[in-house]
Amino acid sequence: MKIATICGMGFGTSMMLKLFIEDVFKAKGITGHQVIPWDLGTFKGQQVDLVVAPTDMKSHLKGSETKVVYIKNLVDKQEIEEKIVAAIKELESK
Amino acid sequence: MELFKVLLELITLPAFILGLIALVGLLIQKKSTSEVIVGTIKTILGLLIMSIGIGALINALIPIQSMFQVGIPAAGFETFVTFDEAVVGAVQSANEANIGAAIAWTMLFGYIIHLVLARVTKFKYVYLTGHMIWIHAGAFAILFQSFGLSLFWTVVLASIVDGAYMTLAPALAQPVMRKIIGNDSIAFGHGQTLLNMVGAWVGKLVGDPNDSAEDAEMPDSLNFFRDMAISISLIMVVVALIAVILAVLQIGIAGVQETISGGQNWFVFALLQALGFTAGVLVLLQGVRMLIAEIVPAFKGVADKLIPGAIPALDCPVIYPFAPNSLIIGLISGTIGQVLGMVGLALIGWPVPLPSMIAAFFASGAGAIFGNATGGRRGAWAGGFIWGFVGWFMISFAYKFQVFGDLAGMGAIDLGFTVPDAIIPGIVIWLIAKIFGV
Repeated sequence: MKIATICGMGFGTSMMLKLFIEDVFKAKGITGHQVIPWDLGTFKGQQVDLVVAPTDMKSHLKGSETKVVYIKNLVDKQEIEEKIVAAIKELESK
Repeated sequence: MELFKVLLELITLPAFILGLIALVGLLIQKKSTSEVIVGTIKTILGLLIMSIGIGALINALIPIQSMFQVGIPAAGFETFVTFDEAVVGAVQSANEANIGAAIAWTMLFGYIIHLVLARVTKFKYVYLTGHMIWIHAGAFAILFQSFGLSLFWTVVLASIVDGAYMTLAPALAQPVMRKIIGNDSIAFGHGQTLLNMVGAWVGKLVGDPNDSAEDAEMPDSLNFFRDMAISISLIMVVVALIAVILAVLQIGIAGVQETISGGQNWFVFALLQALGFTAGVLVLLQGVRMLIAEIVPAFKGVADKLIPGAIPALDCPVIYPFAPNSLIIGLISGTIGQVLGMVGLALIGWPVPLPSMIAAFFASGAGAIFGNATGGRRGAWAGGFIWGFVGWFMISFAYKFQVFGDLAGMGAIDLGFTVPDAIIPGIVIWLIAKIFGV
């Protein structure tokens, strides 16, 4: 599955989210996913399966056809783990 | 021998050194062959893409600058754009006197020194903000090379300062970070530290942390500034229109179209330059993104093994969700600070940094959050304002006195550094060098 993490610049917060998500995957032994950091400006039109973004970007990502997971506390690995694992399960069961 | 020469030329190119760092990083992480090849090539392409963006950005900037020059009669002031990525990107791509290689090596050895320091001292922080790792390596390498040092000594000294910076700055900010986040799970890893700390100290003096800005309801309508393309476009359109109107007032429409716009309508020309500048920035950022995408995970992989349990020092937006109101206060007070700073600088005849929404949102925003942590609502206003106002004087000082050497001669035309964590140590080292007559 292709997962895009989003932030304004595409290499700060999004890179950090990518690293945290990969930590979670590693800890849980989840494999087969590619996590790509992306910026708000160019992510439209990209083909990904799941988008992960900070909650305060909600207004920018309204109307996204791809499923978006919003993370409130960017440093809370528990939140990241719960939300993303659930989203992956949901998408995979489709 | 010929082959050897070609190889030597190749491995001294900044793009290939960075590719090499990425290659080793990917190998250490035991990535598959295809991932190693793709990652290495993308890193090299990142630097090349960056130089294309820089070219576009400077091409659009030069006419805007000449409109200001024409529009503000003699004895007026000089303007420039303050943008770290553009400075380091331009200097590294122009690669005068092989400075690009010094930057690339400093990025590697500075990080190694940082990890060693984090391992042996009590400052267990691992700096993970990719573009800031690159910018500080660039700033310190440019600084030492400007003293006329050889490649070897430039890299040695710049790496030591860079490694010390990445270890100490997060430690300095941690007491305030603890107040913002509530625990020690993350640290602050961004070049804004020193001015944010000034904001926190002033906040403590003028305000009360219990009167938090976060207790009030605030609209989030200013949130669109997070979209780089929009915020830079808006500010540059305003700047270019002011420039062209000033120029028209001095030499008339015909004069502008004859001497500056190459016959194009003055209004259309100004608009195109503004958007062309933004387009250049977006290309530049795409290059930065590709450049650091492979290197940061590699650095993190090594750090995880070497310093288990270290606190990651991360990019400034990690603190935004903890204080969204302060962020908006910072954007407003920071913009006011920038404008007043510009007026002050123009009055004393110093070079004037053009307004930056990136600095207002990211830097003054973070400054306000630091101020709010120690001084509540008043602290937030003070923190954001100080970043804009004091920051603008600091940025202008570094540009005026060429603290980092002749940046324009190194390829960064009309561009200056922004982050205090590069500029303030830069000024201190520059002053010491002056005392010793370098």
